[in-house]
Amino acid sequence: MSKKHSSNLIRYFALFLFLFIASGTIMAQKISVTGKVTDASNGLPLFGVSIGITGTSSGTISDVAGQFTIQAPSKVSVLVFTSVGYTPQQIVVGENTQLNITMVPEMTQLEQIVVVGYGTQRKKDLTGSIALVSTREIKSLALPSVGDALQGRAAGVQVISSGTPGTDATIRIRGVGTINNNNPLLVIDGVPVSSGLNTLNMNDVESMQVLKDASATAIYGSRGANGVVIITTKRGKADQSHLAFNYFFGMQKATHVVDMLNAGEFAALHNEIMANAGQPQNPAYADPASLGEGTDWLGEMFDPAPMQNFSLSYSGGNEKTNVYVSGNYLTQDGVVTNTGYKKLTLQFNSDTKIFDKLKFGNSLTLNNDNKTSGNYSIRNAMLALPTQPLYQENGIYSGPIQQPMWDGDIVNPIGLANTVDNSTLGYNLIGSLYGEYEIIKNLKIKSTLGLQANFWNSRTWAPDYHWNSSINENSYLYERYNKNLTWLWDNMITYEKAIDKHNIALMAGMSAQENESHYLNGSKISFASNLTQQMDNGTLQPTLGGSTYSWSLLSYIGRANYNYNGKYLATATVRYDGSSRFGEGNKWGLFPSGSLAWRISEEEFMKSLTFLNSMKVRAGYGVTGNQEIGDYSFASALQTIRYNFNNSIVNAVVPQMMPNPNVQWEEQRQANIGFDASMFKSRIEVTVDAYIKNTDNMLVPMSVPVSTGYSDVYVPYINAGEMENKGIEFTIDSRNLVGDFTWNTSFNFSYNHNVVKSLNDTVPMTSGSIGLNYNLALIQAGHPVNEFYGFIIDGIFQTQSEVDNHAVQVPGNDPYSRTSAGDIKFRDLNNDGIINDLDRAFTGNPNPSFIFALNNSFAYKGFDLSVFLQGVAGNKIFNANRLYTEAMSVAQNQTTATLDRWTGEGTSNSMPRAVFNDPNKNTRPSDRYVEDGSYLRIKNLTLGYTLPTEWIKKAHFSSVRVYASGLNIHTFTKYTGFDPEVGTSGIDNNVYPVTATYSFGINLGF
Amino acid sequence: MKIKIYISLVLFITLFVSCSKDFLEKSPEYSVNTENFYQTEADAIAAINGAYQPLQWPKLYNLRLWTPDIMAGNSIVGAGGGSDGQETQDQANFVTTTDNQGVLDLWRGPWPGILRCNIILQKVPGMAISESIKNRVLGEAYFLRAQYYFILVRFFGDVPLVLMPVEPGDDLRPFRTSKSEVYDQIISDFTKAIELLPARESYSGSDLGRASKGSAEGMLAKVHLTLGNWQLVVEHCNEAATLGYALNPSYASNFDPSNKNTVESLFEVQYASNGGYDFWSNENQASWLSTFTGPRGSDLAAGGWGWNQPTQEFIDSYEAGDQRKDVTVFYEGGPQFDGKDYQKSYSMTNYNLRKFIVSKSVSPSYDNSPMNFPVLRYADVLLMKAEALNELGRTSEAETPLNDVRSRAGLTAVSGLSKDAFREKVLHERRIELAFEGQRWFDLVRVNSGAYGIDFLHSIGKTNMSQKHLLFPIPQKERDANPNLTQNSGY
Repeated sequence: MSKKHSSNLIRYFALFLFLFIASGTIMAQKISVTGKVTDASNGLPLFGVSIGITGTSSGTISDVAGQFTIQAPSKVSVLVFTSVGYTPQQIVVGENTQLNITMVPEMTQLEQIVVVGYGTQRKKDLTGSIALVSTREIKSLALPSVGDALQGRAAGVQVISSGTPGTDATIRIRGVGTINNNNPLLVIDGVPVSSGLNTLNMNDVESMQVLKDASATAIYGSRGANGVVIITTKRGKADQSHLAFNYFFGMQKATHVVDMLNAGEFAALHNEIMANAGQPQNPAYADPASLGEGTDWLGEMFDPAPMQNFSLSYSGGNEKTNVYVSGNYLTQDGVVTNTGYKKLTLQFNSDTKIFDKLKFGNSLTLNNDNKTSGNYSIRNAMLALPTQPLYQENGIYSGPIQQPMWDGDIVNPIGLANTVDNSTLGYNLIGSLYGEYEIIKNLKIKSTLGLQANFWNSRTWAPDYHWNSSINENSYLYERYNKNLTWLWDNMITYEKAIDKHNIALMAGMSAQENESHYLNGSKISFASNLTQQMDNGTLQPTLGGSTYSWSLLSYIGRANYNYNGKYLATATVRYDGSSRFGEGNKWGLFPSGSLAWRISEEEFMKSLTFLNSMKVRAGYGVTGNQEIGDYSFASALQTIRYNFNNSIVNAVVPQMMPNPNVQWEEQRQANIGFDASMFKSRIEVTVDAYIKNTDNMLVPMSVPVSTGYSDVYVPYINAGEMENKGIEFTIDSRNLVGDFTWNTSFNFSYNHNVVKSLNDTVPMTSGSIGLNYNLALIQAGHPVNEFYGFIIDGIFQTQSEVDNHAVQVPGNDPYSRTSAGDIKFRDLNNDGIINDLDRAFTGNPNPSFIFALNNSFAYKGFDLSVFLQGVAGNKIFNANRLYTEAMSVAQNQTTATLDRWTGEGTSNSMPRAVFNDPNKNTRPSDRYVEDGSYLRIKNLTLGYTLPTEWIKKAHFSSVRVYASGLNIHTFTKYTGFDPEVGTSGIDNNVYPVTATYSFGINLGF
Repeated sequence: MKIKIYISLVLFITLFVSCSKDFLEKSPEYSVNTENFYQTEADAIAAINGAYQPLQWPKLYNLRLWTPDIMAGNSIVGAGGGSDGQETQDQANFVTTTDNQGVLDLWRGPWPGILRCNIILQKVPGMAISESIKNRVLGEAYFLRAQYYFILVRFFGDVPLVLMPVEPGDDLRPFRTSKSEVYDQIISDFTKAIELLPARESYSGSDLGRASKGSAEGMLAKVHLTLGNWQLVVEHCNEAATLGYALNPSYASNFDPSNKNTVESLFEVQYASNGGYDFWSNENQASWLSTFTGPRGSDLAAGGWGWNQPTQEFIDSYEAGDQRKDVTVFYEGGPQFDGKDYQKSYSMTNYNLRKFIVSKSVSPSYDNSPMNFPVLRYADVLLMKAEALNELGRTSEAETPLNDVRSRAGLTAVSGLSKDAFREKVLHERRIELAFEGQRWFDLVRVNSGAYGIDFLHSIGKTNMSQKHLLFPIPQKERDANPNLTQNSGY
């Protein structure tokens, strides 16, 4: 989307707002009713209570201080107060223009409705481990994505945000459960989707639930093993009309930029690199001091970047029909040159009662996004020489001039960032339509049709350039059109019955889902001009490619809930899944679960403990599966490629991947025990869970020795080994202060321990390949998954005799090409007098032991303040950028850490000498690069002010709130790279850093 | 009321069972499967075409099989001032470690080719196709399998000998087989290829360039040369000579992309200018040579990354009047290329490689060079024969093939040399004639069990060279995947 397009959009919003406000002010004068809503259980002001007037479409909601103002048409008007978890109230206006309303909790939060797989349950009836994410806290913050909103909000849920604009955060529930795909299943409005969280507008999210234990996830069978995130979007409510407009503007900046050498420092280093290898020095570096600062490539790469988010929604309804419609526009520039994200989302939800027993409804999300991923290499911006100017004298980008030994060979990273375009334009649709019919009382059938459609076009354009010795002879255009369609058909039948104190709910159903995806791509080179960037303008080497993939899943589902008098509760579920991804005889898998709960607080002997509102213990066990192994892993397929004879291209057919026709489901067995308590009139709520999950028959990419002739990159999945995760989760929500000044605290804390129990094989699997010829990590029985593996450093050789007395590292007669004083000493772990690959050991665990978050929110007379801290502990990061930025072996810039390099006996025992080509392999993967990845972040700090109603009521606003917010304000960490949030592998390899964002926003309600 | 319930339930149950049985049957539509392939002649030919294809890869002839000339001291990496080429620099400095990318590539290149041959040798004999095509395809498969093992055994010594396709459940972690057994298999495979393959002249059009009887004879001569079986070298060189090979009148004709698979060529790896495949991918059909070895910072060729810069010592080793110098290397004051002068500032050594450079009129972009790579030329056959005859004590008889090669280069005939002097002469001739064609390293490590190479490399200042460097290490990445592989000594 162009800049022009976005500014037009802003203009339309402004016009719309103006007209709306203007039309409001000329309406006839009505009775103005103001008041305050409080919670009967604790006297706290209640935010977000809907206030409607029967028979009209007007309405408002209470603000953070519980205040509201509403225009009633007449004295006989009836005001309706509703809020989730509270008993609705109706008040006739009469003579009262000032109302104090106390809302009675529907037996507190416990009556809250929780969305579980294929249905809902009251929170108090839950027997499994399900985390509810309070959207009430989140919706007052400036957050561009749903993933960011989830971070730190639920125990056991690790969210790793991505700095790249428009890229979804990574979610891990209860640790890494498999070597294979670990992403939880995402269910949006009842439809399992493959679209990312970014498809949704944060403002449309009504509730988020995370299903964690197997008794909760087994209903999703083969897709439940990694946990399930269920998101429900907002729906209209009867007799309440509401219009909301939200806007924020934010500036983003890089949290921490690594310090690089300036031109003078680099030239001095480079002279040393060459001298230590007996190589000729660059004549241009004869006087390093005269070179000064030079080019700051990283500074050129990173710029503060703006972000704006507009949301408008309206909702309303009557007893028969309700609707919710919203529009959202997000425009976000990236802090890295030529990156950004723009997104337009429409949401339309409705429900209609055709007649008493027949109901239809729909959810529809439409989304258009444009992600500009640019052509940035943060590492190359670090490594580019500060002695090279950004531009040549003629204004064209510069490039290395002399031989690469002196000038390096990095193509101008700013030139590439500014001239090469990489973008993805997406059109996404997630829609569902359901019909529900009550055959007889309590016996309902429901049929749902779902459709997910994604269309996305990716495009790469590179102009021709001649930047000194960096030459791209031909301009280049590549485009790829992708289409992905999934349809779903669910049919469910439910029956509920209470006989005396026995309550029974039964559900049975089937689900069919099929996916088909296609792509078509093409490229050309040599365009008439760099301004004509369309396929038709290219002249040479046209290419064309395309293919298609598909999968299908057929499932039968059943669930039974039973409780005796709300005291003893039991749930059993079963799912029988058939998947096209497995071969004959292995297609079907059975995934059962069961759980029990006991509400001890309902027992007579507990009634004396009056401070206790509720106490429940839970236990559950279940089996889930994982089928994310690609579409055709079982099939023994041959690939078509090319060869040529005497200039004629000929067809060739070759085996690509070793087939494994016997591949089966991965099974995960999880046991969970939990405890929930609510105390002191629900002012303190505690949840504790403990779990053990064992992944059996773990689907792992096979480690195929190349000598088989099969690819060791495209490898089949095999069922191997067993992995265990065990952990504890603890959540406490506390309302510390109530009254005029309120203070709430939420704290969650999770511990997870991961271990690979067996691989059915004595040979560990390698992982963490970053293009080096050592793998950085291993998967080995008895160790956490992906634990770093490498050499162990033991200081620096200070003298040649120390080299001679140590185990042989890199021998040689050539003094310039062998281990010498100043090189790193590696430990001879097996004491065989030679340093080789047998001297490698485990060097660190990338999986955090602890994740935690603490939120404190305060409110006083219209002011609200929330301080959100979040962190992880116990994990290590392999800082792979330092393999390059502290190598001191070639003509590439280095970090300022290399200023402390070894230059003679006693000068350093940690940073080695500078020498061309690094004969000792000081850069071999070792614990030198393993750093502590623990951090504590001030994730969010938001200060808001809700304007007093008397200031705004003339303009027909029901609420106006302004706020300032900071995201990722400060991070406490020992990590030396850009940012410790580097992804689940723990390897920081050219990662786009997470950014800090400072925003101002406004929430308007009408 | 009841009826309504029944109708609803019946409808609902219909929904349950309405999915057809083949709903869960999905198979890839972009590939053929092993069950329905291997039926027709076209299938057999497509399969054998695929067995040639790994030869094209940068893991083999597009990069790693010509960079050994840098180890052998003919040239320096050049481009390797950045991190680019550092693995080759390490090889050339003889500080190669088990994580060397070049070594890993050489290990990974041949095995897919061996698998493709093994599948053909398993499937094709039972196919109902014409005997002539069946024999040709099987002959090509034996030839290529021997070719791939010959690459492995010379770089790594003992290697696993895998002669059947494997599946999960089979033993995927073979031990190394002794070098002599591997050579026995190579000899057996080339011998079968000689029996099955047609002669070069039976190929035409788009079959020109396939392995022929002569290719196998020549390669078998080279295997025996490596093993020092001098009599067999002479026999197979003579057999090859009867198949119609001859030297091209001009040395330069061997490096002309418009004149491929000439009468001098026994076997070459095919490249084509038909773009459309990613230059860096395994599907790429274009040669990397022109792009990699083009002088850096010049506009002589598309690309021009300055690899493989000849050393002064190599330049000085040309005899005066050797016409091959102007074809092989760029030097300041030498003949123009495409009407442009070469400048010594393009290179750290003042020289660049010229042999494989393609004019921009042929290859306008870096990813488009159609030049084939010579694996075995008749000049090589003549020099092998000369060397073998000399070793058999038939030095005067050996002069003829040597002088055939020298006379084309514009040099005078040699005669009357002692056996030792003749050996030096023929090895020097091989160095110059076959310069940068990936042959020099193998000569250095085979003559006198490698002592010749160690002495030579020490004499040009490569003092790190030692006995262990005659073989590469087994890549650590592969030993991690297969712990049954032992390491070569010294690594």
